[in-house]
Amino acid sequence: MNIYLLSTVFCLAFVGFTIELIRRQKIAERYALLWLVLGFVMLLFSLFPNLLIRLSEAVHIFYAPSLLFLIGLLFSLVFIMHLTMVISKLHRKVTRLTQEVALLQAKRPEEDGARGYSSDRTG
Amino acid sequence: MNILVIIPAYNEEKSIGSVIESVKSRHPEIDIVVVNDGSKDGTSAAARASGKAHVVDLPVNLGIGGAVQTGYLFAYRNGYDIAIQIDADGQHDPAELNKIIASIANGEADCCVGSRFVQKTSYRSSLSRRLGIQFFTWLIHLTVGKRITDPTSGFRAVNRKIIEVFANYYPDDYPEVEAVVLLERMGFRVKEASVQMHSRTAGKSSITPFKSLYYMVKVSLAVLMTRIRNVG
Repeated sequence: MNIYLLSTVFCLAFVGFTIELIRRQKIAERYALLWLVLGFVMLLFSLFPNLLIRLSEAVHIFYAPSLLFLIGLLFSLVFIMHLTMVISKLHRKVTRLTQEVALLQAKRPEEDGARGYSSDRTG
Repeated sequence: MNILVIIPAYNEEKSIGSVIESVKSRHPEIDIVVVNDGSKDGTSAAARASGKAHVVDLPVNLGIGGAVQTGYLFAYRNGYDIAIQIDADGQHDPAELNKIIASIANGEADCCVGSRFVQKTSYRSSLSRRLGIQFFTWLIHLTVGKRITDPTSGFRAVNRKIIEVFANYYPDDYPEVEAVVLLERMGFRVKEASVQMHSRTAGKSSITPFKSLYYMVKVSLAVLMTRIRNVG
């Protein structure tokens, strides 16, 4: 078993695993896309090793596998940045939701007819 | 004119009652909303026990920015004309309320910040804190060309227009400085009024040395971003 076969098998398993996670709704499609892209790019390089070598030569990289590392590293950065954006967005939404819930809670007793301040309310 | 005092409170059960009391005793016509920011002590109960304030309990701790914004949302939805922020720890003297309301009420300014440094007051603080405040004064001057002597002061009054702005967007962690820059960038008139401030009566400040450093860096970034962002 050589490394190309091994990495092909690994990539196929990775793509299969990702698809399975999407099927089970463990990850949302929009966040899964990047993972699938990575899986297919790596699969492509495993199936056609010459592709990597020619690409490396084209961009003047002497040691072809380092291009692989570069791609992996760049992908990781993109994905982490993507996650940071998602978290920031979620943070804003959670903040607003918390505020709305709190305001609704505070308003309730007045609607029950108990005018003014809610000092008699417990919880 | 409907006026609302917003008091964000986190673990201030010892002082919140007297803060509410001192506002109400001088200004019975002013409404108060205490935003309890997920306190772990009896802040909410203490505020309710006074019977003189609306109490909004945040189910989780949002931090000062999220808590204050809840107050502005409350002010906006309930149609208040002026909203005033006061700290729950008793540093801000309700006797000074009229000073910061005045220029809003007569239309001279859209936002009025209570400052310890416009005139010499009895307030004394550590050197590092004074340097920090001076740094932000300098940064604001640099970014919007305006001199705000006490940019970290949380004692401030705003009019209806700004209540609406803050209900939609209010900065996160340490919002005071960024809020001033934002308002200036949007073309609002920000003024300062000289006020006296006390040292804390109870509880302890949430600012540690490490947090201060983080605060400086985070707020500086936020201020610079506000400068290059399209606002308003």
